[in-house]
Amino acid sequence: MTAPLLSLRDLRTEYRTDRGTVQAVRGVDLTLYRGEILGLVGESGSGKSVTCMSILKLLKRGGHITSGSADYDGTDLLRLSEGQLSRVRGDKIGVVFQDPMSALNPTMTVGRQVEEVLLQHRKISKKDARARAIELFKLVRIPSAETRIDNYPHEFSGGMRQRVMIAIALACDPDLLIADEPTTALDVTIQRQILALLKELRDRLGMAIILVTHDLGVIAETADRVMVLYGGQIMEEARVADLFEAPQHPYTRGLLAAIPDPRQSGGALTPVPGSPPDMRNPPSGCPFAPRCPKAMAICLTPPDLYGAGDALHLRPAQRTRCWLADPAVPAELMEAT
Amino acid sequence: MNAPLLELDNLQMHFPTRQGPLKAVDGISLSIQAGETLGLVGESGCGKSTLARALIRLHRPTGGRVLLDGQDITTLSDSALKPYRRRMQMIFQDPVAALNGRMTVGELIAEPLEIMNIGTPATRRKRVKDLLDKVGLGADAANRFPHSFSGGQRQRVGIARAIALEPELVVCDEPISALDVSIQAQIVNMLSDLKRDTGLAYLFITHDLSMLRHIADRIGVMYLGKLVEIAPSEALHVAPRHPYTELLWSAIPVPDPAARRDDAFETGEVPSPLDIPTGCRFHTRCPYASPLCKATEPPLKTGADGHGVACHHPLPSSPSTAQQEIEHA
Repeated sequence: MTAPLLSLRDLRTEYRTDRGTVQAVRGVDLTLYRGEILGLVGESGSGKSVTCMSILKLLKRGGHITSGSADYDGTDLLRLSEGQLSRVRGDKIGVVFQDPMSALNPTMTVGRQVEEVLLQHRKISKKDARARAIELFKLVRIPSAETRIDNYPHEFSGGMRQRVMIAIALACDPDLLIADEPTTALDVTIQRQILALLKELRDRLGMAIILVTHDLGVIAETADRVMVLYGGQIMEEARVADLFEAPQHPYTRGLLAAIPDPRQSGGALTPVPGSPPDMRNPPSGCPFAPRCPKAMAICLTPPDLYGAGDALHLRPAQRTRCWLADPAVPAELMEAT
Repeated sequence: MNAPLLELDNLQMHFPTRQGPLKAVDGISLSIQAGETLGLVGESGCGKSTLARALIRLHRPTGGRVLLDGQDITTLSDSALKPYRRRMQMIFQDPVAALNGRMTVGELIAEPLEIMNIGTPATRRKRVKDLLDKVGLGADAANRFPHSFSGGQRQRVGIARAIALEPELVVCDEPISALDVSIQAQIVNMLSDLKRDTGLAYLFITHDLSMLRHIADRIGVMYLGKLVEIAPSEALHVAPRHPYTELLWSAIPVPDPAARRDDAFETGEVPSPLDIPTGCRFHTRCPYASPLCKATEPPLKTGADGHGVACHHPLPSSPSTAQQEIEHA
């Protein structure tokens, strides 16, 4: 098996706010291989966005990475200076955000914004940068690329703006694209177009994609592998087919039961009771235990991730952070509370 | 069939802009029966939220009529409207964001009762307690402030406030869109229970098509200010007849990797509501469009089964007929 493109180890990130310290990410390990689409799924406050924004230290005010390493192609990104990181961002790693309008400069034509990225990272003439920008617009299927390139962001629809963002992210042929809720603000027909485009670009360019979303349908449509986050930790990781076919963690099962399947007729849904934890004061054991239908006395002790793939790594691991998955738990501790 | 609780007759809501009129709602007729949930879907800019605001008279419609229980309320003044307001309430995406943050939850829920001069302070306190119980919040919530609540709990406060006056119709504008997946089903189930217990009717506006199947009796589909299809919920899911409905349905992500689709799905974008296409508004994106569609706007025609569609070339009316046509081809 080839070396991973990105290895995150024991990432911990917190936010210091007026009302206390939010423990946003609490020990996340993540391994990403070249050319794969890894989905990070979770609800608000689960730590999915903070995890991937920590990789490039793109944290909002008050955010601190307190421990961990992010080995990217032999370099620990978390040890780089701001100057060194700014050479990685937009060059080796591209980023697409949920709201392209706030990420784009409203006073500059979209073409100029693509050219700026190229001029910053590549020794390239202005003329060649413009030609490359038009080529990128064609790649992301913006119609009339040659003329649209001279428009301003407000002259584009939401879906087209997201294509512009993707063009900027791809300008320097990155090996990794981080897409943080890239379709959440878009209509459903536009969402499907953008997801299809991301898959097509992965197939053509061979880059890896980390796709952050709260939508399990988006994961099922797009990702190869998935990590389910809750309370700043990975609850479960698996190949997408395995996760949907045989979810192991009670939280994953609860989520899948709570969402409607568009192919099935109505009737009552099965909600997950309770509310997500307050991450300023997270539960001491498993973060899902207070809402878990299978909670036991032992769940007050934090469980590890259990499970493994086969020895040859032909089939990546399905791992679960749940005491029920630990074969070594003594029977007397497995009593329901 | 009983007289409808609410009837819209060719309702129009145009806004003047420098580039000409923005026809947000451009002639919509529909009705909602007592105790019924009508779902309304469409992409951003289709006019679904404007329609909601016009029908509860947050806007004054620029054409057509709104009838509540047969009474024309389209042009009533604010004071003449007051008795009708009590019968129609609204739930917003984030209900608490629009409310006074210095009021406790109890005060917020009691406020509509005070405005309508209902009860004494003591009976209102009792009513607040009952309402909190109905929406699954404890009585101690009354003394807390809404900002200390989670999103799902706030929506419960918004619902308690909306049902305080025992309305007959509640207009829900994207009530679950801002909520986490695990919480959405809690709220949808609660709204269903309230309807079963009190017989109120909902107009439920959302872009989440798969959720609608769990709450709506009938569903209307809007495109660029027009109603293009309206039908009983199951019929609309199983056998959509308008090509736009078919497109919307096919775009919903399916939570099953085995059903994954890898086609490019290049289906274009919604045109600007300031520059509405001639004829059928959908013809610029429609795979079945003919010259007739470009020239003439199709009217909404409703069949005996209550399935209405505005299309010159509608899709077959049920899966069985579709199957027959494939076999004959």
